[in-house]
Amino acid sequence: MTRIAEIPAYFDDKSFDHFAQGFGEWPPEERVLFDARAATWASPYGLVGMLTAAQALREAHREKPLFTVPANAEVGRYWARTGFFKHAADLFEIHGKVPRVPTNEDSDQLLDITPVGASEDVHQVVGRIQERAARMLSHELGLEAKATMGFAMALSEACQNIVEHAGTSGWVAVHLYNFRKRLGRRVIVIAVSDAGLGFRRSLEATQAKRFGDRWGDAAALEAALIQGVSRFRDPGRGQGLAGIKRYLSRWDGKISIRSGTARLSIVPQWDDDVPLAEHLPYFPGSQLQVVIPAQEGGAR
Amino acid sequence: MIQTIPLGRALQETVATPYRDLVTRPTGVAVRGYIQRAIAGSSAPTTMLDFTEVGLLDFSCADEIVAKLLLDTDPGTDRYVMLLGTREDHTEAIDHVLNHHALAIAVVTDPDEPPQLLGRVTPELVRVFHCVFRVGPGDAGSIAETLGWTLERAADALLTLSLLRLLRAEAGTFHPLPR
Repeated sequence: MTRIAEIPAYFDDKSFDHFAQGFGEWPPEERVLFDARAATWASPYGLVGMLTAAQALREAHREKPLFTVPANAEVGRYWARTGFFKHAADLFEIHGKVPRVPTNEDSDQLLDITPVGASEDVHQVVGRIQERAARMLSHELGLEAKATMGFAMALSEACQNIVEHAGTSGWVAVHLYNFRKRLGRRVIVIAVSDAGLGFRRSLEATQAKRFGDRWGDAAALEAALIQGVSRFRDPGRGQGLAGIKRYLSRWDGKISIRSGTARLSIVPQWDDDVPLAEHLPYFPGSQLQVVIPAQEGGAR
Repeated sequence: MIQTIPLGRALQETVATPYRDLVTRPTGVAVRGYIQRAIAGSSAPTTMLDFTEVGLLDFSCADEIVAKLLLDTDPGTDRYVMLLGTREDHTEAIDHVLNHHALAIAVVTDPDEPPQLLGRVTPELVRVFHCVFRVGPGDAGSIAETLGWTLERAADALLTLSLLRLLRAEAGTFHPLPR
């Protein structure tokens, strides 16, 4: 028996729940086929989500999942340029023609899909991205030069959540694209995903009692993102997400974290997302997305 | 006497990275260890942490290096830490983490100007700190007179500044930190 997890045609944070639903009870007993044939576009959030699902299946000792490549060759080439197939080759049994395309330094990818598992990886990510981030944030989004350092800081803190809390490795990608449907402006999107403990399990020992009957994925996200709570008793912890929020409030950005069956977002005026979504289809680990929009009048 | 520690060099000597960024907690822990060993091995009362060669400083690393260094300092010792060569984004991260812990630190910007204070400092404390920098060492009475304050108000502010290790207290007299 094979279970089919359909990759949404337009795969972003909004259609992610449809993707998660495809797995049913986690971990699925059957071998899973990730069917991407009908895919026409995927955000970095969607791309790292697929790798996370495959990694979680591997860590649950399930059979290597199958993957069918997008039928649209241009979509396949784009995914190849993001580094998706390079990492997918290890995690999936791939069916279909995988385009051989080098990652393109002049593309809209600020950071191709990169594994994060240790502190050194965060150094690499932050070190590699700064020059291009400076150029894109000022030229493409119309942000002031000082926004670059805050952006790299936010990226660093987002990646460190994996190193510090996930208990396994994860993935990060940063892309620039046109947020035509929701905003009508260009945005930079940071997507970070891991197949690890998730916020509820990470915080359970120190926070479950405090929340009582309310304890669950949503309460854990609230504790971490809104209250700045960390699983560590060290009083200096919990400042990473606070720092990201501070940066985003300055540049009208959005942060959204999905873990288990809940997603909590700090929603700027330009977006119509709900702040808290509960009872979602379960998905392993944690998925974080940060969106920084072009300043009005600053987008190309 | 002052000891200056270039944090760019501290990073290169503690973490195998080709980059100049102070990011992640493990990096911060390693660099703080380097600083603490340097302080322990020196007789200089003031240590200046020089950020000139530092690229990015994230909140986690700022917390491990600056906040925890201050928290770990034995209040009984006559040792002080100041900062040098910070950029706006560095001071923002440091200010954020020091506020979180109710700590403060002085940043030397211009030799002729009072250092900039970061962290949990009120405008009243800043005023007293600037006063001591401009008029030199003094007791609560002389500072109160200079500022036109009551003795208690000046004494409270001076004591708080010395507890934050922004001034050096010696036999009732409050001194600017040696720079």
